[in-house]
Parts: sequence; C-alpha cells; structure tokens
Amino acid sequence: MKRFITPKGVVGFALIVVIAAVGIAAPLVIPADMATRMTMSLRLKPPGFEHLLGTDQLGRDLLYRVMLGAHTSLLIAGAAVAMSVAFGLPLGIVSGYMGGWTDTALMRLVDTLLSFPALLLALTISAMLGPNIPNTILAIGIAFTPFLARIIRGEALRVAQMPYVEAARAAGANHFWMIVRHVLPNVFPLVIVQATISLAFAILAEAGLSFLGLGTQPPQSSWGLMIQASRDYLDVAPWTALVPGAAVALSVLGLNMFGDVLRDVLDPRSR
Amino acid sequence: MASFVARSNLAQSEKAPSDATQPIVAISNLRVEFDTDDGPVVGVNDVSFAVRPGETLCVVGESGSGKSVTSLSLMRLVEFGGGRITSGRLNFARQNGATIDLAKADAATMRAIRGNEIGMIFQEPMTSLNPVFTVESQLIDGLMAHKRLNRAAARKRALELLEHVRIPEPERRLKQYPHELSGGMRQRVVIAMAMACEPRLLIADEPTTALDVTIQAEILALIGRLKHENGMAVLFITHDMAVVAQMADRVVVMYRGNIVEEGSVEEIFRAPREDYTRALLAAVPKLGEMRDKPGPEPMRILGAERKAAPSDAPPPRQAPPAKRRPLLEVSHLTTRFPVKGGVLRRTVARVHAVEDVSFTLLTGETMSLVGESGCGKSSCGRSILRLVEPESGKVWLDGADIRSLGAPDLRRARRDMQMIFQDPFASLNSYRRLSDQVAEPLQNFRLASRSEIEDRVATLFDRVELPRSFLRRYPHELSGGQRQRVAIARALAPQPKLIVADESVSALDVSVQAQVLNLLMELQADLGLSFLFISHDMAVVERVSHHIAVMYLGRIVEIGSRRAVFENPRHPYTQALLKAVPIADPSRRHFLDDSSYRPLSSPIFPLNHAPLPSTYEEVEPGHLVLVAA
Amino acid sequence: MTYIFNRLLSIILTLFLISVITFAVTNILPGDVAMMILGTQSNPTALAGLRHSLGLEDPLVVQYWRWMGGMLTGDFGHSLVFKVQIATLLVQKLKASALIVVVSMTIAISCAVPLGVWSAVYRNRWQDTVSSTIALFGISLPDFFWGIVLILIFARALGWLPSSGFVDPAQNFPSAIEHAFLPSLALGLGLMAQLTRVTRSTMTGVLNQEFIRVARAKGLGERVVVWRYALANAIGPVMTVAGLQIGYLFGGIIVVESLFNYTGMGWTTYQALLNRDVPLIQTSVFVIASAVMLINLVVDLLYFVVDPRIRAT
Repeated sequence: MKRFITPKGVVGFALIVVIAAVGIAAPLVIPADMATRMTMSLRLKPPGFEHLLGTDQLGRDLLYRVMLGAHTSLLIAGAAVAMSVAFGLPLGIVSGYMGGWTDTALMRLVDTLLSFPALLLALTISAMLGPNIPNTILAIGIAFTPFLARIIRGEALRVAQMPYVEAARAAGANHFWMIVRHVLPNVFPLVIVQATISLAFAILAEAGLSFLGLGTQPPQSSWGLMIQASRDYLDVAPWTALVPGAAVALSVLGLNMFGDVLRDVLDPRSR
Repeated sequence: MASFVARSNLAQSEKAPSDATQPIVAISNLRVEFDTDDGPVVGVNDVSFAVRPGETLCVVGESGSGKSVTSLSLMRLVEFGGGRITSGRLNFARQNGATIDLAKADAATMRAIRGNEIGMIFQEPMTSLNPVFTVESQLIDGLMAHKRLNRAAARKRALELLEHVRIPEPERRLKQYPHELSGGMRQRVVIAMAMACEPRLLIADEPTTALDVTIQAEILALIGRLKHENGMAVLFITHDMAVVAQMADRVVVMYRGNIVEEGSVEEIFRAPREDYTRALLAAVPKLGEMRDKPGPEPMRILGAERKAAPSDAPPPRQAPPAKRRPLLEVSHLTTRFPVKGGVLRRTVARVHAVEDVSFTLLTGETMSLVGESGCGKSSCGRSILRLVEPESGKVWLDGADIRSLGAPDLRRARRDMQMIFQDPFASLNSYRRLSDQVAEPLQNFRLASRSEIEDRVATLFDRVELPRSFLRRYPHELSGGQRQRVAIARALAPQPKLIVADESVSALDVSVQAQVLNLLMELQADLGLSFLFISHDMAVVERVSHHIAVMYLGRIVEIGSRRAVFENPRHPYTQALLKAVPIADPSRRHFLDDSSYRPLSSPIFPLNHAPLPSTYEEVEPGHLVLVAA
Repeated sequence: MTYIFNRLLSIILTLFLISVITFAVTNILPGDVAMMILGTQSNPTALAGLRHSLGLEDPLVVQYWRWMGGMLTGDFGHSLVFKVQIATLLVQKLKASALIVVVSMTIAISCAVPLGVWSAVYRNRWQDTVSSTIALFGISLPDFFWGIVLILIFARALGWLPSSGFVDPAQNFPSAIEHAFLPSLALGLGLMAQLTRVTRSTMTGVLNQEFIRVARAKGLGERVVVWRYALANAIGPVMTVAGLQIGYLFGGIIVVESLFNYTGMGWTTYQALLNRDVPLIQTSVFVIASAVMLINLVVDLLYFVVDPRIRAT
C-alpha cells in the first residue's frame, strides 16, 4: 500500500477520481438545456467570470459541455474496455494454458488482427455499422481485443509453467480448478494494469473517432466532437479546442500515471 | 541460533607473526547500508580482515551473511546496487607500492584498479557475458583500456589468455558468441577476462555454485593453478564448506553482517571456537562419513529443536528389511521431448530425456536418482507421476499400472504419489493462504469433509513443525525453509505411499537443508513413506538413501545399494563424479587435472535415431553397471 | 533455404487471412451499399440496377473471389467516390503517406533513444523525472491535438510552415518537406514519447543484468558500459516495439492527414469511409494491413542482424 503513495500515484489517482466523479454526476446535476441551448449572442465568448471556460460557436457554455462530454467519453471508453476484457480474457487464458495447436491457431488469428491498426479497424466497423454510441463501443471494443488477448496469453503461458501449477496437477486438480484457483489470480494483476492503460487509449480512440465524425454524433456531446467543431474557429477562439483537448489530456494522463504506478507495484520485474 | 561473540579482528590482522609481508587488502570496520523502500538496511555491520599475498582467504556464510556485499564493496560496485559504505577502511596495496583506501578512492582511480590490479569473477556464468558481442571483443576491451595495447596486440594476448585457462579450440572460441559455449567454458572465459591484466588479487564470488560438480572441480583446480602460477591472492566467497576445505588457506566465517570467527583452515575445521561455526560444520554432509553405516541416519545438528540430546538419539525405528515389499516398479521407461522448428512447428528432432530406465523401490525406503544437469533425473520423476507423458515403458505403483490409467483414474492414483519441487518460492501460489494450499489435495480428492479439513491441515502443520499461527499466512511471509515445509505438508495431505522429492533441498541454506532432511527421514520412519530423491549433491544423497541410481544422458549407468555404489563404484562416470566432489575436510584435498575436458554429449537425436537398449552387468548382487552401448 | 520457404508460406497465409478479415468487416452492413450510395428515398429500379452492377446479388464467397481474383491480376477495382482506378490512386497516395511515416519515425527514434537511455542512467533522479513526465504528457495527448497545437503555433502565430496541402516530392522537394513537416511532427511526438518510455524501461532491465556488473568489474568506463554494452542489448527489443508502432502510425495518419488536408493514404481512406465507397475501403484497408504486416516482417528480419542468439535457431 505504501508504494502507491508516490507523487505520480497520488496525482494520477486524484485526476481519475475527479474526472470519474464529473462524468457520473454531470447528467444528473447539469440542467438539460444549459448545454444544448444555443444563444447566438453569447457565441465564442472567451473564458471569463460568467462562463468559466468560455462558450462555443453556438453560445453553449463550455464548462457544462465538457462535463457532459466526460460522461459520454468515459461511458464509451469504459464499456469498450469492459468488452475487450470480456472477449480477450477467456481467449488469452485458454490459449496460454492449453498451448499446442489451440494456442498456435488462436495466436495466428490474433497476430493477423494486430496487423490492422486499431483506429482503422474501429473506424471501419463504425462506418460500416453506422456511427452511434453503441456501435462506437462495439467498434473500439473489438479493435482492442486482440492486443489484450495477446498480453493475457503471454502471462497465462508464463503462469501455466510455474511449479505451483504443476504442484496443483500433482495434487489432483482438474483443468477447471487449476485455471480458477491458480491461473486467474496470478494473471489478474496484469489484467488490471492493462485495463487501466487500455482505458486511456480508449478515451483517445473515442476522441479520434468523434473528431472524424464516425463516433458520437450531435446533439450528444463528447470531447472529440467538441474538438472537431472547433476546427473552423481556431483563429478566433482557440479555447474551444483547448478546453476539450485539455480534458482528454488530463483524463488520459491520470490513467497513464496511475497505470504506471499500478504496474510498478504489481509487477516487480518492470522496476 | 546460539549466541556468538564477535572477535576483535583488528588485533588478529595486525598479528602477522611469521610473514612480515604487508597484506594486499586490509579491511577495517567496514559498514555498508542499503537504501530500501522500508528505510536503510544494514548489509555489513562491522567487518575486518586481511588478505596476504599468495594466500587464499575464504569468506563463508549462509544467505544474508553479507559475504558478497563485502567483496562488492572492495570493488566499489556496491554503489551501483544501491549500497553505501558508511564507515570503515579498505586499504589496498597497489602495484607501485602505495597503499590507498578504496573506500575513499574516486571513480577514475577505481576504474584503473578494477580489472587491472583486482580481478573479479561472479556466480552466474550463463549471464556474465554480453550476449551480443563475441568472446574476443569482450576479452580485448579490458586489455585495450588498461594496457593501452592496439587491437592486434590485444588479440594475440586474448588468444594466450584462452590457452592459459585451457579452453579447448581457443581460436574458434574467440569468434564465437557466449550462447555457443557451455557454462563451464563461459566461466573459463570470465576467469580469462579477470586475469587479463595479471591482477594481484582475484575476488571470486561463488564462482562454482551454478556449475555441475565435475565442472566445479575443473574450475576450482584452474583457480588453484592460476594462483600458483601468478602468485596472486584469492578472496574466495562461498556458502559451501566443502569448497572451503578444498581451497582455503584461511577462513572467515560471517553471519548477518558480522564476522563470527577467523582462522586457518585447519583451526576452523578441527577446532571451531564459536557455536555458529560448529553448528554450520555439523549441518554439512561430508562425503564418506556414512561409510559402514547400514542405513540413512539423521544429521547430528546443533539446535534447540531436537527433543532429545542429539548424540543420544537412537536411529529412527524403521520397518525391518524383511517386511519391505516392492512399491514402485519402473521398467524400460522412455521419455522423449520433441524439438519443434519451422513455420508449421513440425518436429525436427527429439530430446531423449529418459532412455530405457528400470528400477524397483521398496516400501519405506529411499531411492536416489543422482546426476548432473541434463541427465534426465527430473524428467524421470515427472514421467513416473505422468506429469509429462512417457513414450514407452511400464510404471507400477503398488500393483497398479500407472501408464494405462485414463485421465480420471490417473487423477485418483495421484493420491498415492506426490511431489515436492525444488523452488520453494515458485511451488506455492502467492495469492492463496497456506492452509488453503495444504488443503487443496484433500479437497480435490474429497478426502475429508469441510469441517474435518481444518483439523487435518492443522495436524499436518504440527507434523512438519510449523506453528499453527502460520495457517492464515501467505507464502511471502515465510522463509525458504518454512515454505518447503509447507510443500511437504501439502504432499503429505493425501497420505501418499510415494513422494518424489525433486531437488527439494538444493535451494536451501545448509543449516535449513539439514533440518529438512532430518524431517524427511523422520517422516519415512514414522509413516513408512518411500522417497524417490532426486539430487545432484552426492554428499546429501549418501546421507538419505538406501539405494542409488546414477544417471547420465537419460540412462542409469550404475544402480545398487548406497554402500555398494559409494564404496565400490564401477562405472567410469560414477567414479569421475565421486572424485570430483569436494569433501568438507581440509586434510582430504584432491585436485583434478583442470583440463579433463569431457566433450559434451547431447541428448538430442534426429528423428530416425533408434537407440540401443540398456544392458547391465551385475558386479555384485543388486549392484548393476551399464555396459557401454 | 527451408527457412525462406517457410517464411513465404507464412506471409501468404497471413495475407489471405488479412483479406478475409477485411472482406468480412466491410460487408457487415445491416443496410446495403446501394442504398447508402443513392440514398434511402431513391428509385427502386435504380437501386436494383446498381446492386446488380456492383455484383451485390451474388453470394459472399463469390464476391470475395471476384475481389481477390481482381487484385491478384492487378485490377484493384474502381473507386465510387474518386471515379478512377484504385490502383493508380493508391500508388500515389501511398507515396505521400510513406513520406510522413518515414519522417515521423526518424524524428521519433533519433530523439527517443538517447532520451530514454539518459533517463535510465539517471533513474529516479531529476533528469529522469523531467524526461519521464514529458514522455507521459506526450502519450496522453491525441495526435490530432498535437496537430492543432502545432498549427496554432507554427502556421498561424509564426507563419513558418503551411498547415494544409500536399506537394509531390518528385516535383518540388523543399515544398514537399514543408508541407509534410507539421503532419510528421504531429504523428512523431506521440511516438517519440512512447519510444522514450520503452527505451527507458528496456535499458533499466539491461543495466540490471549480470554482464553489466562484469563489464564494470573489468574497469570499463561508465560511458562505454552504457552506450556500447547496454545499448547493444536494448536496441533489439526497442526496435521490435518501434516496428509494432508502425501499426499505430498507420492508424494515426487517418486523423492527422485529415486535419492537415494532406492527401495521402489516410486521407483517402477517410474519404472512402465517409462516403461508403466500399471497393476503395476494402482495398485501402487491405493495403494498409498488408503494409503493416510486411514492415513487421522486415523488423523481424532485422533482429537477425542485431541479436546473434536468433541467428543460431
């Protein structure tokens, strides 16, 4: 526990907690129209007293928009990572534990999938299915699964060769118990670390997809959409891009920092 | 542990009665600390000793004694590992006659001394050489840095060095990469590197611990010869008292960062003054001390755990030989592993790990499989338990044909045959409580109801002499020896008839090793267990076995009762093995010719190779020797 | 000899799998291509006609075979959006993207390796903290954000470099570099941050190995130990990671090229996706995935040069 209390760990954790809190609370706390009401007289106001972070090109308050964006972006990223873990974990464990032909065949498939840039895969799936929030989650989830599967398979392979697994076999355990009692608990720390880092990349991916118009669609707000909308106004109102950009940066930064500390704590080899 | 009194060693090193020569190294009151997450940890507390020219000083101790830290401090390498020399002097007499305090030397001076006036060799030959550079380049860079030789002159010298350390085919080795050399050859290269600039002092930090015993004998002989030829001093660090007896002129015994005792090698072995030294010596199995004894005997170790005074303890009651019947019969067992290659991962060759092995093990007895690394002894143990699948042969456990069992029957049969592994750290799952892990066999085999399991596990903990408070603990809270006891408890849980102990004591400190061996022998006497004891340590094997099988390249080359094989070895490999083992008695030193180089045979054969069956000659009743195939 | 044969077999197998996956992904439309092109309100006869001419009535396997067969004979199809032969289109666009990829890789590696080594040597001291923090920031910002910042600074505020457009290097090399620089930098910054981190952790691992201690015990200077002994061992794994990052780069060009209106492979693929130009999507995705795979293959082979242990097996 002590090793979590490094500057990096504390800052990272704080960032995550704050942004998560905002994401969860935002739709409940912010009055619905504050973020969507278009008031042309208020458009493109710089950050000031009345609008802490300024307004966008339709006069909407950026602070509220970015808070609601947190909700969308985190929802999508979280669901996508959950999906990739749900697919990748059994795939990786079975492959690493069984070895042999199963492993070779599965890994060849996974390696081939890894030749597709994740963003490209997500964009294509999203474009083909029609961009909306559920499809974005599906697209990112599928795109991240091969990477996660490969990492988990490597760890499962390593664990499966440890003496305590062999000892369990000698003690009469069957495959099911060996996986549940011995392989899973030892693979789990790595899964936690990778999930944290994947969450960071998922947020980046969602921002990228929305920026290209193939992710979240208006009138929903997400950070990527906000950056995309700000493209035409960069000269006159750079804050319209910087605010959502900073939001992405801070959340990804927090996750990366905390993920680093997690990795140091859970995997002494990487120290 | 009994208390000890640290001697004032300054007085001793200044004594120097007959030799008026100045010591090469004089360490005074050295103290080294390490910065860890939990605060500073003392590695070396207060150490003082001296090394005189031309002498071999052995620093001996168990893990955590600080012996390695002392030598690393001398080379000022300890700072690279997070250590700090907080006080003390490290006086070194340089080539030019001046004496400097290495503890205060600056980086440039240290660089000039390292590899030049002081050479150092380390424990792990497999990782001591840079894998991506050739042997030649690693030999010449030190030469070019210290002696200012040009490349051609350095190359010539490198060749000379390899010849000096008696590496076969030295010209070829120069162009090779480290992974193409065996462990023994790599250690010779490392020694050549350390000797390159003809240092006055050679520090050897456990140089043979990771080597097979025959290779160890060669390397020890090499160090001895180089020492005589070059007239250098050697600071030899080891945990193995037998090696100390073989190599040392003087000995320093360390424990937990302090010096316990110091003296000549005869003094230490014949008349140890301190309790710790005596306890250490008592725990070391001496090759040859079981001569004329009929069966295995517990070691007479010092310590408070013994219930009766050790010298009065009667030999543990064992089932009379007449009552013993065959428990395990192995017949023509063969196990081969495929070597895969190519994109489709087809089998291109096979490793003949176990080749035509046959033996019988009686109830209540211990059969040892002994041999060097790669001889197949571990694979044999695993094949019997079918943790790896043998290719052919028969295995009967108490009449049941193990090889013909289907998967569910095999699982049930595992009740009767259990295994203890070598690595106490890796054989327990770090995420499960100790009591859960010992209970696992009981749960798998449904041997006890939930309520009974707790009691059974507690009883097992008592049996292996672990406090019941450990039941709720996790593996990382225990020491190596304690974890091994938990592993033994786990193996005992289903009340097996046979336990395979695969190098189970090799990773333990010698005092802990003795305790665990005594425990195993006790359990055998009380429960009538049979052990298949797999080990590379001849002295340990001599202690615990009724019967011995010596293995080489997958075959049994000699098999018989312990007395027959040890007192009358007939196969050349057994003889070589026994000759190579160092004995913990300085009066029985023997040096092999350090160039007795056996070409490494490989157990890998092409797919179409059909090996001949093993044929044996019975030289005495029950004593078989492999006839050269 | 057998090794080369085995390798070729492996490549063909993978290319086949890539094509199957590409085809599968681009044909999971719930609706259908014809409707997407002509719109939902269009004339049913026109829809049927288009469907027929695009061959959408045939079973999937036949469609796949038609596509693959075409590619094997050099006919990469016809783009619905650009109205030209895809083959000629792609060759031009690939060259443009190759320029950015190469420049960004070069910038990234040449900065990341020394920085990472420096960080590892001064582990946990202020040099490491500064450099690691910067690297952490670097991987936390999306490429397009770097792009926007770079545009704001270098194009708008300072006016040094153009913020959009592509120029063929064969025609006007200096201008081509001018136009390619900012996109390359946008791509390269994130990559450099990632590679710095990887170099740092790899070097730390190498510096803990026994042979480093032996090298110091030989009296070799610290500079030689780090930059010759240690780096020679770290370069292999770092190279592998850099190779894997090529995949990431090829994803990033889609966003960055669109941001900078740099008409390369990424921009083209994006236009195809926006407009459901299925033949172009299929072929672009296939080409990109194959390029990534082949580059990774080259990296694998480079490992032979770098690590003598691999040569032995």
